[in-house]
Amino acid sequence: MPGGPTVRFAVISTLLAATLLMPPAEGASAPSHHPALPGLPNPKVMTGDAGRFGGEFLDSQVSDPRTFNPILAQETSSTGPLGTLFDGLVEDNGETTQTEPALAESWKTSPDGKTWTFVLRQGLQWDDGQPLTADDVVFTFGVIFDKNIPNSLADVLSVAGKPVQASKVDARTVAFHTAEPFGPFLRTIGVSILPRHKLEASYKAGKFRQTWGVNTPPSELVGSGPYIMTEYRPAERVRYVRNPHYWKVDAQGHRLPYIDRVVLRIVPSQEALRLLFQGKQTDSYGLRPKEYAAFKRDEKTGNYTVFDGGPTFGTEFLVFNQNSRSGLPDYKLKWFANQKFRQAVSYATDRQAIINQVYAGHAVVQYGPESPADKFFFNPHVMQYPYDLTKAAQVLAEGGFKKGSDGMLRDADGHPVEFVISTNSDNQDRVAIANIMRQDLSQLGMRVTLVPEAFNTLVNKLVESFKWETMVLGLTGGIEPHNGQNVWRSDGSLHMWNPKEAKPATPWEAQIDRYFNLGATTVDQNRRREYYYQYQAIVAEQVPVVYTAIPNAYVAVRNKFGNIHFTAFGGPFWNFPVIFFKP
Amino acid sequence: MVRYILRRLLLLGPLLFGITLVSWAAIQLVPGSGNYFQALVLQYPQISPQTIAALKAQFGMDQPPWIQYFRWLWSILHLDFGLSFAYNVPVTWLIGSRALNTLLLSLTSLVVAWSVALPLGIYSAVHQYSAMDGVLNTAAFVAISIPSFFSALLLLYAAYWTHLLPLQGLTSVDFDTYPWWGQVLDIARHLVLPTIALGLFSVGGLMRYMRNNLLEVLRSDYVKTARAKGLAERRVIYRHAVRNAINPLITFFGFELGGLLSGAAFVENIMGYPGLGRLILEALLKKDVFVVMASLLLGSVMLILGNLTADIMLAYVDPRIRYD
Repeated sequence: MPGGPTVRFAVISTLLAATLLMPPAEGASAPSHHPALPGLPNPKVMTGDAGRFGGEFLDSQVSDPRTFNPILAQETSSTGPLGTLFDGLVEDNGETTQTEPALAESWKTSPDGKTWTFVLRQGLQWDDGQPLTADDVVFTFGVIFDKNIPNSLADVLSVAGKPVQASKVDARTVAFHTAEPFGPFLRTIGVSILPRHKLEASYKAGKFRQTWGVNTPPSELVGSGPYIMTEYRPAERVRYVRNPHYWKVDAQGHRLPYIDRVVLRIVPSQEALRLLFQGKQTDSYGLRPKEYAAFKRDEKTGNYTVFDGGPTFGTEFLVFNQNSRSGLPDYKLKWFANQKFRQAVSYATDRQAIINQVYAGHAVVQYGPESPADKFFFNPHVMQYPYDLTKAAQVLAEGGFKKGSDGMLRDADGHPVEFVISTNSDNQDRVAIANIMRQDLSQLGMRVTLVPEAFNTLVNKLVESFKWETMVLGLTGGIEPHNGQNVWRSDGSLHMWNPKEAKPATPWEAQIDRYFNLGATTVDQNRRREYYYQYQAIVAEQVPVVYTAIPNAYVAVRNKFGNIHFTAFGGPFWNFPVIFFKP
Repeated sequence: MVRYILRRLLLLGPLLFGITLVSWAAIQLVPGSGNYFQALVLQYPQISPQTIAALKAQFGMDQPPWIQYFRWLWSILHLDFGLSFAYNVPVTWLIGSRALNTLLLSLTSLVVAWSVALPLGIYSAVHQYSAMDGVLNTAAFVAISIPSFFSALLLLYAAYWTHLLPLQGLTSVDFDTYPWWGQVLDIARHLVLPTIALGLFSVGGLMRYMRNNLLEVLRSDYVKTARAKGLAERRVIYRHAVRNAINPLITFFGFELGGLLSGAAFVENIMGYPGLGRLILEALLKKDVFVVMASLLLGSVMLILGNLTADIMLAYVDPRIRYD
């Protein structure tokens, strides 16, 4: 995505994010006579209309993959192209958001919640025909937790700072042991499994970090996913063909995927993506909210349909610097640490104007830290701050601020309220949001300056020098609140308003820490929901971050495809193996 | 002459050292400009500070800037240009995978630009103040005033509406299935738009340059003498005037040679051309330091060699120029 820090994490968040503990059972609507294939007695059955085989799907993305090594892949530009090559033990259903069996056909938890045992499907094969076994799973987790291979999966999978221990029980069974019961375990364990027979030699030679870089011939890559990579031309395209050993079937028992070949074109910008789609050279385009009207209008002539996935997980917000290490004058820190001040700014934020002007009306207001796209953990009953400048002025007065006869707002000690909003200049939406906020705040008598800066400069301020006053920024979330702990825990490095606190600076931060700890170590999902409800209520009440609006997700897809079930969580192609060309 | 070339090549070393030192300082010492590893936490909020520190150490970026620099210098002396932070593959591979494409585009547009501009410049100088001269000059001024990214955009929209030429890239999706002549044709088709955007729009300046030089020469005494001698006009122009008028253009040509690998970034970015410019721009924005340094080094070497080539050509074209 162009425009900076809200780097979108489609595939990883699909793997990591989410909701319910699924009973260890096979896919949703398993027919009474379960389809089987020779050598693969229990394939996963994907639901959907019966499709046709064949065809070539034309996709596109901005910027090149960075690596073909799924353990080192971090950005969407890599995880996207690799998503069709590798599988995890479990996967999230893009529609229901529930965790479902994938390479593993079933699992169970020990009574103390610390041991998880997974049974792999019988007869799984890598795309080169070698068997996929428990050894591959154990190897993968060994690599992830190797100290010489820094990777962020290790951070996600650590429980109480300790690695998850994987051990082989038999050829098809793997046991995982965690130091503490781990609530988000199922949501995080679905990482891409690596083929040991291809990678062990380079791993043992200490060369894993340089293995499967983008300079590797695609024929070297071995995966278990629906497609096999056949070509990579830097800055041009990636090509795939279907994997004849794939482990999913349709309801009639035909081996998936339906579509034979996939071409992923690599282009330099969002504008180029749009041009290719409108020139009918690609089959889908994820449009920005403000493009909705134009694309809706041309649906017929362009022979496509615009799907509405509802709110996304992307947030845009204003955050106040409360960090005493920032070098800000004490009186400014005092404003930003004043709950009334922050609440007043929230009341003065015209979210509807932001929705109308920035997102052309295609967004929803946001007051709490989670998105309504999260059907399970989202708390709809948090404190709300509808736009009301009178109310804002009243709250400011309660907080000890007074508007003088010159129209200038002053604090109790007479300091005029003046501050800077920084944001990254390459993101038009953020600059617009900051401008709308600035106008309303100046009506309250604050003197606010907007400073758009280079993205790297902004990041440096945020994580190293701390020399900033307020910032308009965005982050992308998922459905598992635990993955936000780096932001919300007081010792988190992305705890923006006061990073890496030695101990919680305020009672409410201590409360949030407590709920995050409880949420991490509780396996009962309904109790976890209670804890995360509490955290959302506290954040909305304390407003360390003034949330603005969450845009909706839209995608345009050509009408020739069957089984499209678009959701903001899963994207248009989460069920790609059953998507087919209509006759 | 050979001694002169050797001396110039010897000077290359210290010059490059100076260039790398300054560019390293510009990238790494500017306070508050951030670095590649810092930004990881915003891209991937779950990453721990320990993992970021380990990644940083992996590339030696945990050292003080001057140690980083000398380590880098030491390794490039062994022709090791390091690994890209973002890709974790050798910088030489990254650059190598795109350099030929950029070279191809730069050469085609160079050839197109010069082979169109020189005859037009000569024609309009010889036919000064004619109607055609007026038309050519107006066109030249228009071409000069349009920046290359804008001309690329215009061409892109023209291609979009006419469906005549491909919109992005260097090869078609089914390129690999074509016979060899089909592949050549396919690349040629893809080259048309970027070549026009990059080459044809630089014709304007070049043509004006040629025209002015030639006019100046045509007014000089020896041309009058040649005409007075009764030489045919063709011979006066092509044999005497043009040869002299072209000298300043050769220096200009040297600069263009220097820009062969770096001059196409805008057009590449708009036309989705798989060249170096896109890679370097991205590396610069992300502060992928080794990629930026290697491309700067490459650009400097090209520029120096381009100028050297121009100087040698100048000596060859103009017997009055002697370097020894």
